[in-house]
Amino acid sequence: MIPRVPASVDQDKIISVHGLKFVYDGGVQALAGLNLDVRRGDYLAIVGGNGSGKTTLAKNLNGLLRPTSGSVIINGTSTSELTVAELAKVIGYAFQNPDHQLFCSSVVEEVRFGPLNLGYSEAEVAKKTELSIEAMDLSAVKDQPPFSLTLGERRRVSIASVMAMDPQVFILDEPTTGLDARETDDLMDSIDRLNLDGHTVVLITHDMKLVAKHAKRVVVMSEGRIVLDSDPGGVFTDLELLLRSKLVPPPVSQLAHRLSSLGVPREVLSPEELVFHLMSGRGARR
Amino acid sequence: MRALDLQDVRFKHRGSDHWALDGVSLQVEKGEFVTLLGSNGSGKSTICMLSNGLIPHALPGDLQGKTEIFGFDVKEHSVAEFSTKVGMVFQEPESQLFCMSVEEEVAFGPENLAVPREELRERVEWALELVGMKGYNDRSPFSLSGGQKQRVAIAAALSMRPDMLVLDEPAYALDPVGRVELYQVLRQLKEQHGMTVLLAECDSEEAAKYSDKAALMKDGRVISYGTPREVLKDPERLRSLGIIPPQVSEVSALLKERLEGSNFSFISVDEAERSIKEKFTNRKRGREP
Amino acid sequence: MTGFIDLYTEASTFLHRMDPRVKIVAVATLSLLALITSHLVYLLVLAAVMVVLILFGRASYKKTMLAFSYVFRVMALIVVLWPLFDPRGTPVLFGFGPIRITEPGILAGIATAARIFCLAAAWYLLMFTTSQRDLVRGLVKMGLRFDFGLSLAMSLRFLPTFSAIVESIKDAQRARGLELDKGNLRKRARDYVAVLVPTVITALKMADTLSLALQSRAYGARTDRTYMRELKMRAGDYVALLIAVAVFAIPATAKYIFSIPL
Repeated sequence: MIPRVPASVDQDKIISVHGLKFVYDGGVQALAGLNLDVRRGDYLAIVGGNGSGKTTLAKNLNGLLRPTSGSVIINGTSTSELTVAELAKVIGYAFQNPDHQLFCSSVVEEVRFGPLNLGYSEAEVAKKTELSIEAMDLSAVKDQPPFSLTLGERRRVSIASVMAMDPQVFILDEPTTGLDARETDDLMDSIDRLNLDGHTVVLITHDMKLVAKHAKRVVVMSEGRIVLDSDPGGVFTDLELLLRSKLVPPPVSQLAHRLSSLGVPREVLSPEELVFHLMSGRGARR
Repeated sequence: MRALDLQDVRFKHRGSDHWALDGVSLQVEKGEFVTLLGSNGSGKSTICMLSNGLIPHALPGDLQGKTEIFGFDVKEHSVAEFSTKVGMVFQEPESQLFCMSVEEEVAFGPENLAVPREELRERVEWALELVGMKGYNDRSPFSLSGGQKQRVAIAAALSMRPDMLVLDEPAYALDPVGRVELYQVLRQLKEQHGMTVLLAECDSEEAAKYSDKAALMKDGRVISYGTPREVLKDPERLRSLGIIPPQVSEVSALLKERLEGSNFSFISVDEAERSIKEKFTNRKRGREP
Repeated sequence: MTGFIDLYTEASTFLHRMDPRVKIVAVATLSLLALITSHLVYLLVLAAVMVVLILFGRASYKKTMLAFSYVFRVMALIVVLWPLFDPRGTPVLFGFGPIRITEPGILAGIATAARIFCLAAAWYLLMFTTSQRDLVRGLVKMGLRFDFGLSLAMSLRFLPTFSAIVESIKDAQRARGLELDKGNLRKRARDYVAVLVPTVITALKMADTLSLALQSRAYGARTDRTYMRELKMRAGDYVALLIAVAVFAIPATAKYIFSIPL
């Protein structure tokens, strides 16, 4: 039974998940009762191995999947009262494989598709399209067919087409798979900027280096449950838990754990931090 | 005789103006584990496709220079002939497994070569055992995880009994656990069976751990070739080439910068732990300034 | 979606163990038998035999009912409508204007429904006792060219894969506000372009890799390729084959050569 939304709802919470259970048609339980609150402007990473339920959770947020029990409340309204198209106005979902989305003969047309579907006027559609194309650095290729672009560019087109719908929340499913170092940096810069501009960002990934570098909050999932919800530093102190959840902690974290006797804290997230602590640890020990 | 001998190789695909390989000289010795590192478009996949004759036979174009695979000129022998010397694994697990069961997939190659039936069964069991997929014979490829699919793909190549395994970004679609399993299988193949392994990657973390040699590629050329320690120690340079550096090498570079007189150069967590503890413990005990 | 093709139910009955080639022949002969038989009683007997065989094969009740749901609907429709269009014979049970319902008409309707059941049952017997692998293997052994057999096998193998890909594409487009289940025919046709194009492109890309993978494993290198899993006819298979052929040959001879009504 899906509970009615209470009268006093915390306006700061853009996504509110209560007791979410999800069972697939074949009887497989993918989500075992989750509770999660996401605040406006959060930069959240949902991490877990294959089968942890992270994609199932994400699809429950934008209505592609409906809860078997429990509730998902977006911006104060339960998803049970909204269609996928209506939710698309608030929650933008960029899929892992951009080739599953691209079908138009030019980047511009592709990016226009979303806002057109949502019923914006021609003027609004044109404006949003232009802004998104610029924000994702696609101006140079905007008249080319998406299929002729590199993987990195196609990913950016896919995100731009979600951006043009002007959602408040961005859910990005493994956005950096297959990208080389430069493409990864460029893409993550754009995503960081989205968050700086006030958008809520939810990254679904298993790349812990990425999480350490960009996310402000990490939710670790394993076997359909949330096993840890903390800032990145907090998550990396528990290597055991990460390994049990089929995740590999970044090398810097592994190293930090081994150097704790030298005064290096376990929450270290980057090479700079590690070196800083080593250098100041030496000083303190004199 | 080398496993792979490329001398001043240039290649462009038919109908293209762009040289995918623009003067590559590379030698891979038998039994070596070599990683080709580079950004997308650097030519690493092209070298993979060249290593078993897919270039130029299945992917035609203008191929110049000398390319020899175990002593045989690539232009003069078919892909089928090379298939018993070189096994190929592609990056998409789903599209390279086309049979209805794991054992059919692994038997497919040798069946095409008319290997007698008793031997077929032997080879299938042997290959599955090597990749840790024993007992999965009747499973359908669709029901396997990404990591399992890639291991079946490796088994399907191994059953041809090649001397070299070539893998084009094999961990692309895998989660961290799948990635680790894959590299462990490859390392075992090299160490216990003398297999030559050549693989293409954009992330150098595993190359640092497992490779004998690594090649840095850019714009169709090999910029640098040597042991991981020689080639992977400069994270700035790796990033500029689009290659993700081993994370601890960034620690090593920073320490070298900030700690005078230090000569850190580690690329793996174990090495890093050892070097740092040594250096910093000595300083603590006042042995060094 | 794959439920349509993959009716195979794992078990170890004599039907499952039978050589797939014999089963393929049996489906053909049983179907022909159903087609040449017109007499209701014989058809009902044949239908009963089919049911017994299905029980022997230990078919899953749920799956069988699912598979036959359409067949039953068609059968019901025929039983009801046939008499309305077949006004021959006596006695007339109901007459009103142009409508004339006769007893033979009703019986003919039931007979046709029974015939349809027998045809469906024959195919079902084959499909639920034979795995896709064995089916393709049987066809190839019977003379289907290996290339065609491989294409057939690959199509079956990729069916669930493509099913999942199409679902993923639909999800991706729905998340962009596309409402696939709404609108008139024209709108829906246009909407499906957004699903069709990515599907085709993905399929083409997969085909590319597939082709390279096939070549890398020496596909087509020799014409005398071997097979790991052999099909060997055993004594029981020959007996079953004989029965399958006799079951059709005898009645056919009776009907067409000796003009015995069936």
